[in-house]
Amino acid sequence: MSTTQRILPKGVSEADFDAALARFREILGADSVLTESDQLAAYSKIMMAGDDADYIPSAALLPTTTEQVQEIVRTCNQYKVPIWTISTGKNLGYGSAAPGETGQVMLDMHRMNRILDVDPEVCTALLEPGVTYQQLYDYIKENDLKLWLDPPAPSAIAGPVGNTLDRGVGYTPYGEHFMFQCGMEVVLANGEVIRTGMGGIENSSSWQVFKWGYGPYIDGLFTQSNYGIVTKMGLWLMPEPPAYRPFIIQYQDPEDIEEIVDVLRPLRIAQIIPNAVVIVHTLWDAGTHVVRKDYYDGSDSIPREAIERIKADEGIGEWNVYAALYGTPEQIEVNWKIVEQAFGASGKAKIMYGEEAEKRGGGFEYRSALMKGDMNLQEFGLYNWRGGGGSMWFAPVSQAKGSETKDQTELAQQILGKYGFDYVAEYIVGWRDMHHVIDLLYNRQDPEETKRAHDCFAELIDEFAKRGYGLYRTNTEFMEQVAGTFGEPLREVHKTLKNALDPNGILSPGKSGIRQ
Amino acid sequence: MNLTRRQLMKNSLLLGAAMPLSLGAAWAADSGFAEAPVHGPIRLYGADRSTTELGLGLRQQGWAPSYEGRLDPLALNALPAGSLATGFTDEAGLVLLTSLLAGRGRVLALGRHEAGRHQLLSHRGPLTAPLAGEAGSWQAALGREYARLAQAAGSARQTRDLRRPAGEATSATELSFLVRL
Repeated sequence: MSTTQRILPKGVSEADFDAALARFREILGADSVLTESDQLAAYSKIMMAGDDADYIPSAALLPTTTEQVQEIVRTCNQYKVPIWTISTGKNLGYGSAAPGETGQVMLDMHRMNRILDVDPEVCTALLEPGVTYQQLYDYIKENDLKLWLDPPAPSAIAGPVGNTLDRGVGYTPYGEHFMFQCGMEVVLANGEVIRTGMGGIENSSSWQVFKWGYGPYIDGLFTQSNYGIVTKMGLWLMPEPPAYRPFIIQYQDPEDIEEIVDVLRPLRIAQIIPNAVVIVHTLWDAGTHVVRKDYYDGSDSIPREAIERIKADEGIGEWNVYAALYGTPEQIEVNWKIVEQAFGASGKAKIMYGEEAEKRGGGFEYRSALMKGDMNLQEFGLYNWRGGGGSMWFAPVSQAKGSETKDQTELAQQILGKYGFDYVAEYIVGWRDMHHVIDLLYNRQDPEETKRAHDCFAELIDEFAKRGYGLYRTNTEFMEQVAGTFGEPLREVHKTLKNALDPNGILSPGKSGIRQ
Repeated sequence: MNLTRRQLMKNSLLLGAAMPLSLGAAWAADSGFAEAPVHGPIRLYGADRSTTELGLGLRQQGWAPSYEGRLDPLALNALPAGSLATGFTDEAGLVLLTSLLAGRGRVLALGRHEAGRHQLLSHRGPLTAPLAGEAGSWQAALGREYARLAQAAGSARQTRDLRRPAGEATSATELSFLVRL
């Protein structure tokens, strides 16, 4: 089957689009305006259960300066051309580098990749959106700075700006990324540039250290939104601690999730365990390096007996808690005793660190690296678990209470089981909340399975919402539905802001369900 | 000691008596090769017989494949612009490869080769090879097809599903790619 039909932005004539492209080429140079099928192919690659035909861009633009972004936005207003912004384009399973809908022009910021400042005294950085975690990590190492990053699992290739703007999380004590963001430069839809926080003061030295500035605090308006294009962002970096002790706690019974969370919560809130702890289910822990069909080849959910065989073969638990202690050696010894006492009380937990944990295999090595901000790509192995290139992250939030995690786990397993998918999941523990992250892995090459995955995801959203659980983030196929679960009054506010800040609706239409 | 293909190449063992049989068969059976490579180098990734056969097909069409071992998509960043790369990888490798190419390269063709069928996608116009039959393995036929697409000027997106012969031995799903950086 051959496709040669030209893709145009919705509501834009061919003549107007050609005129816009000509202007884009004047602004950026011809090499930075991509329109050919083989150049755009990577921007059409999706992993969610949507129709490929719904996510094809009409072009991609590769700016290198804020001034170019301003000119692009002005041109888009002139010709009513919608753009979809990505920073490094690695939001895999949440929409990847594809547009929100067919015809949108990709604004790919990956060439804006300057590290503008790293201050080792106040432990801050100012970055452009194309900077990757690996790039910043290399900079810190090359300059022998005693600073740690907080990368998400696809660390090396993703970037701090994009991940923070999508309110992603990592695994160190700085795991809630937006909490450690400080100051932005934003190009608005009318082409003007603003700096948030203290950035509006000329020559301010406190742009990256004082978040709030003066008057309404607006940084949050530019996260998970389409109200502006962030061209610079400040973030806080963690000082390297004198000592670090990663450890793992294994539990063998599915019901143990309740105990784990209730033991963990006070330790987390009191900062005895300061990092974003993960509680990883068997299938995620094994799925990073084990292939499903080695244990089960059916098209329904993997059965309990296969899960038990994986646990036995891999030496892993039903639940595998990865956490770490940070500080001086003395502080760590004191806190370690508290952790051992708390988790040892019931006799169910197996607590390991050092050589014992390293020998145990599973995910300890790469988890230990992530909890100290080192790079790895181990979790890409999950894509080999079932095969077929389908992946969607279902990520509801709960309180850090055992009763809620037990409820969420059972509900997710029941719905996934109904549709024949596996519970490949982990909980990321915030200060008081839990991000329940489930990778709905399926075979995108099979239309029937893809439809099942779509229906399953939709049902997960609805059923979780009925019990009071909302998602913290979702993929572009389901943004509209998820926005609906948060209620119409909030959506009206989002829409009002959109109309005020972007009256032509040119910036990422549909992002988080927000349109004119 | 089991040496990888890359180690063998580095140690110049591929041309010596220690050459493994499968590699030796591919390199020695040079009937049908062009006299000398006429189209230039192409980097070839993968670590099994399919890769060797793909390379054979490329060589038959006048390309000079250089065996690079298992695909590390991150290493592609270091290659000069305009470099051609092809080979086989797994699901994780393909996700990483395609995501890294956004704004950095061109996807010329992708293939998914699984039990019962080949699914091919070209961004360089029509796919014509049958990928089966008398002229050797399907991987070598794929190599010849990718050799042609590497030079094709077309820009149309084309997909093609090909049935694999019943009884053809297939192991895991194999994913092929042809990209230009």
